[in-house]
Amino acid sequence: MRRPGARAVCIALSTLVAACGGPKERKSGEPAAPLAGATAESQAARNVGPPVRGDWLVMHATADPESLNPLTSNDAGAAAVLQWIFPPLIRVDPATLELAPSIAKALPQISPDHLVYEYTLREDVTYSDGKPVTAEDVVFALKASRHPRVNAPHVRNYFESVADATATGPYTVRIQLSQPYFMNDYVLGGISPLPRHYYDPENLLDGISVAELNKYDELPPDKKDRADRFAKQFNENYNRNPLGSGALVLENPARDYVTGEKVELRRRESWASGHPELGDPWVDRFVYRVFTDYDAALVALKAGTVDVMGLRPVQYLKQTNDAKFAERIEKHVDLAGSFTYIGWNERRPIFRDKRLRQALSYLVDKKNICEKVMLGLADPVESPIYPRRPEFDKNLAPWPFDPAKAKALLAEAGWSDSDGDGVLDHDDGNGGRTPLRFEILSNSGNDDRRNLGLVVIDEFKRAGIDASFRAVDWSIMLEKVKAFDYDAVILGWTSSGAQPPDLYQIWHSSMAVPGGSNHISYKNDEVDRLLTEYRTEFDPAKRKQMYDRVQEILYDDQPYTFVYAPKSLVAYDKRFLGVTWYPTGGSNEAEWWVPTGSQKYH
Amino acid sequence: MSGAMLAYAARRIALFVPTFVASTFLAFAIMHLAPGDPVEFMLSGGAAAGQTGISTQKLADAERAKADLRRELGLDRPIAVQYARWLRGFATGDLGRSLKDRQSVWRKIRERLPVTVGIDLLALFVTYLLAVPLGIYSAVRPGSRFDQVSTAVIFGLYSLPSFWIGVLLIVFFGGGDYFAWFPPGGLHSVGYDPEWPLGRRLAELAHHLALPLFVTTLGSYTEISRYLRSSMLENARQDFVRTARAKGVPERSVILRHMLRNSLIPMVTILAGVLPGLIGGSVLIENIFSIPGLGQLGYQAVLARDYPVVLALFAAAVGLTQLGILVADLLLALVDPRITFAGTNA
Amino acid sequence: MSDSPESARARVWRALLRKRRAVFGLAVIAALGVLAVAADLIANDKPYYMKLDGVSYYPIAIDYGVWLGARQWPEPLVNQRFAELAERAEVAYWPPIPYSATVPDIRGEVFEPPSRAHWLGTDGLGRDVAAGMLHGIRISLTIGFVVVAIQASIGIAFGGLAGYYGGVVDLALSRLFELMLGVPTFFLILTVAASFPPSIYLIMAILGLTGWVGIARLIRGEFLKVRAMDYIAAAQSLGASDARIMFRHVLPNAIAPVLVSMSFGVASAILTESGLSFLGIGVPAQLVTWGSILSVAQSNTTAWWLAVFPGAAIFLTVTAYNLLGDGLRDALDPREQGT
Repeated sequence: MRRPGARAVCIALSTLVAACGGPKERKSGEPAAPLAGATAESQAARNVGPPVRGDWLVMHATADPESLNPLTSNDAGAAAVLQWIFPPLIRVDPATLELAPSIAKALPQISPDHLVYEYTLREDVTYSDGKPVTAEDVVFALKASRHPRVNAPHVRNYFESVADATATGPYTVRIQLSQPYFMNDYVLGGISPLPRHYYDPENLLDGISVAELNKYDELPPDKKDRADRFAKQFNENYNRNPLGSGALVLENPARDYVTGEKVELRRRESWASGHPELGDPWVDRFVYRVFTDYDAALVALKAGTVDVMGLRPVQYLKQTNDAKFAERIEKHVDLAGSFTYIGWNERRPIFRDKRLRQALSYLVDKKNICEKVMLGLADPVESPIYPRRPEFDKNLAPWPFDPAKAKALLAEAGWSDSDGDGVLDHDDGNGGRTPLRFEILSNSGNDDRRNLGLVVIDEFKRAGIDASFRAVDWSIMLEKVKAFDYDAVILGWTSSGAQPPDLYQIWHSSMAVPGGSNHISYKNDEVDRLLTEYRTEFDPAKRKQMYDRVQEILYDDQPYTFVYAPKSLVAYDKRFLGVTWYPTGGSNEAEWWVPTGSQKYH
Repeated sequence: MSGAMLAYAARRIALFVPTFVASTFLAFAIMHLAPGDPVEFMLSGGAAAGQTGISTQKLADAERAKADLRRELGLDRPIAVQYARWLRGFATGDLGRSLKDRQSVWRKIRERLPVTVGIDLLALFVTYLLAVPLGIYSAVRPGSRFDQVSTAVIFGLYSLPSFWIGVLLIVFFGGGDYFAWFPPGGLHSVGYDPEWPLGRRLAELAHHLALPLFVTTLGSYTEISRYLRSSMLENARQDFVRTARAKGVPERSVILRHMLRNSLIPMVTILAGVLPGLIGGSVLIENIFSIPGLGQLGYQAVLARDYPVVLALFAAAVGLTQLGILVADLLLALVDPRITFAGTNA
Repeated sequence: MSDSPESARARVWRALLRKRRAVFGLAVIAALGVLAVAADLIANDKPYYMKLDGVSYYPIAIDYGVWLGARQWPEPLVNQRFAELAERAEVAYWPPIPYSATVPDIRGEVFEPPSRAHWLGTDGLGRDVAAGMLHGIRISLTIGFVVVAIQASIGIAFGGLAGYYGGVVDLALSRLFELMLGVPTFFLILTVAASFPPSIYLIMAILGLTGWVGIARLIRGEFLKVRAMDYIAAAQSLGASDARIMFRHVLPNAIAPVLVSMSFGVASAILTESGLSFLGIGVPAQLVTWGSILSVAQSNTTAWWLAVFPGAAIFLTVTAYNLLGDGLRDALDPREQGT
């Protein structure tokens, strides 16, 4: 089952995991046409004859996946591996960003009211154990996804608008939705069929429909019992032995999935053979090799033990510049799709004043931060949307670093140093004065965020703002954010280049509840309205207009101070050809191949 | 062993269980006091990732799912009840399932146990092999050039941060820009095959463990050799040594039989810490050398509030500590017959 | 042996001073102490004296005053960067290291290797390493000393009791030792760090209160060995009290391994602080300690100066304490004191 946002996560985290990307529609043998975002160098230099089979691709991973359960596994490392084992019904072409068939024969039939989607599957798709992929498996995948006792609440929520699903034929599926949503094309297309015979050998979920699982509490006792038993065995027994329909297989878990060391996928002849865009690689194996320490990983890259890794900024700038390195290894810089921000908690009265937030943003020297703290390998951001998306508003001017303007705004908002102690204060409405004092929180173990925090509070201090910075561990961070127990927070979001954005969850006021992503409790009526209308707008041009307006408002309101988007830095062995970098910022490793003479592993 | 000693040992063993329970319960209680919720951690791993739209109703559902999971895992019961459940499982050999990935805790520990124990045992062996003669020699010739130089060297090694040394070693000797004498980490090379003959596999392992072992032992020479040296120097002034010399006992015998024997007491006490140390892996070193050991397991489990795993490791540590202390105490009595554990009538 | 405690102490002191290496250790520690106290005068981003627009100021003194709560910054100086002010000033006298340990400076270069401007280089936020090292002495020394003092006090007390009395007392106390060994220090620190604002004093307290068992067991071992000796029986028969026996007779002989242990404890405490700084636990993020500089070194191995200098400082400190410990051991030996 395709993890929702798996692409998003893996593209965004391509500094940590080898870049991944979507397949591209191309008839084999035809050279790729130049594409926006794909560098000319990667195109021209790489077209030396037709690709051949052979060799292995060894990718660096900082940790082995906790679990390879297609639904319950929750880490990015797992998503990178699972995408090869569980291809989707519909894929996104990384060059054109359009939808294209994968396991489905063609794009779905959609009813005029956008509430019914019908997919027809190819008839030649099989799992790695040889059994055929049928419509029942798609239904089963949805059942398992909507099952509340399966430990995958995010997957469940991802499919929240699925009311029911039935197999109307051996290869046709009909999915019924409860509400129209333009992203359903992507959401439903991303479903990967799960082999029912493998994941539910006792047929526990037979006779229980998706609709019934949606209303779990109303299930009659015998069905509930069977459903519970299914959830238990699904949660517990399938974490190390995935079985899917992809061209790559985890052949022998005991041998190939070694804790703390590696995950090794092997290629099989399949329905996708000859089609890298469908996930069939030219190489024989994908090996994810674990090096927990980045310096060790770089040494491994230089020694040839790994073929591709995401570099840290220091490594990119200082440790990979000699001639010997350049001879063997290629470096590539791209947009990563994540951004870091300072969130101002609007449940604290002082942050409800837009002028204060704007002033604070004027005190953040984004340019210098990108250049010095991030060593030039990050770009300032003003919007939560991935810059290469059509929905991105190009007209937002960079928010300048302007302490004078900040001072003016603060004064306008009623802040002044009435007692001469160097800290601004204002009338608290009860006859006293409260100082402008707050604490910025972030998660520990992240040097960049800590450095950002320290730089920012020093600049605030110069302006008379008594800010402090504290790092807490992630577990505690989650708790505090959920309880809205913080003044300001430095965190980040990742967004995918492959899918259209949906800002609802982060910016809509109804999401300002415990556990929701609008943890700063931002509320703007116009934004609320636009975010809701956007979801049911099927005309891309109109959607762009709506989101342009949303970005304008967010820019003016500064509920976050958007700070920077780090770049993705990849280094890979030059013996690999066919490496194309797509507008999504990633590459499709299935396209990588090695000429016979240069092959290393056999 | 004398009858009194046996009786003492029996009494100590009888006290194992209550101490063990008290110890693990204390650890358990402290763990649960620490803020942070494993369910939240488990299911919000993607919290930093932007997700597509979801209604408030479904958000409430997600919260309900978390609450259900907590109930299923027994995390909503009072601490004493949770502990009792764990203890019952432990007594029957069931260590439970990890909260993170529902794998059997025993399985997760077992796959990392040989690595950590192996490294620790080897490190111990190497350390004692080098540190004991060093300590003795330094004590025999205090203030000599050898003593001064070796002191400076091992202090230096001790003070330099192990992670820095580890990284430097990898950079200089692990391939890459300089020498490729050792692999840059891990336990096996990429093409490793369990079908290889034993000799080849052992050679692989040795090759991969050389650097981590070196770094692991760096700091420990100091402690052992300095303790021994200090203890021996002290004994050198004792009357019984002067007596032995006066009697004409050969110097070597004086050193090894008389001084050493008495100097062993602090050594033995340290040894007690060795047993639990066997299963303690260094998180930093495992991190740098990408070694899948118990140190990393424990650290990740702590961060994720994976209580069953952390508890299992605690329990093992506590049990081994008790065992180690008992063995050390008995050895103490063996080494120095003057020691008894009976009460004084003071 | 009926001397007063004062002259016994004086004898020990004299014996100690006779050992060259112990004196060296003492000297180093004293020097570090002086540097720690004087850190503000040696490395500071504020000048000693400045004349601005005809008015004379003593910024460092003003800083102390503000810190004590006795006064406030005068209008022209409040929240200013003194380096900027000094450009306009008529006169300014600066400390030898004109930088702060904790104030980031990203207008200049970051990760600068040692140079004329920055003698020990800068870290990832442009902060001067020399300044950081100086101000870090306070923290490192304090942590080392306080933690070990707590550990030693508790350890010697409990270990002595257990070893001297044996029997039930030993049995019970040893169980306590085992219990304490099982306490999850890391979790405890995590809990405390989350419940209270970050403070190194809390960390010191926790490390001290949970780390005394090693010393206790060492003392216990030594006491067990010594209490059977003749001179103890002699003292007892003379009617000496238990406490007197323990402190005057047994302890000086049993102290040797503990002194060694204590000196290592100092280094261990400093290295532990480094680990905690790295994890961002318990130590305020703005604080620059030897450990926090080291932790930056871990992810930036090309910035060798970030690892060498703190490492050298730890080396020096550990050695100093060790030599002192060595010397103390010798000095406490009754034979040394010439009785």
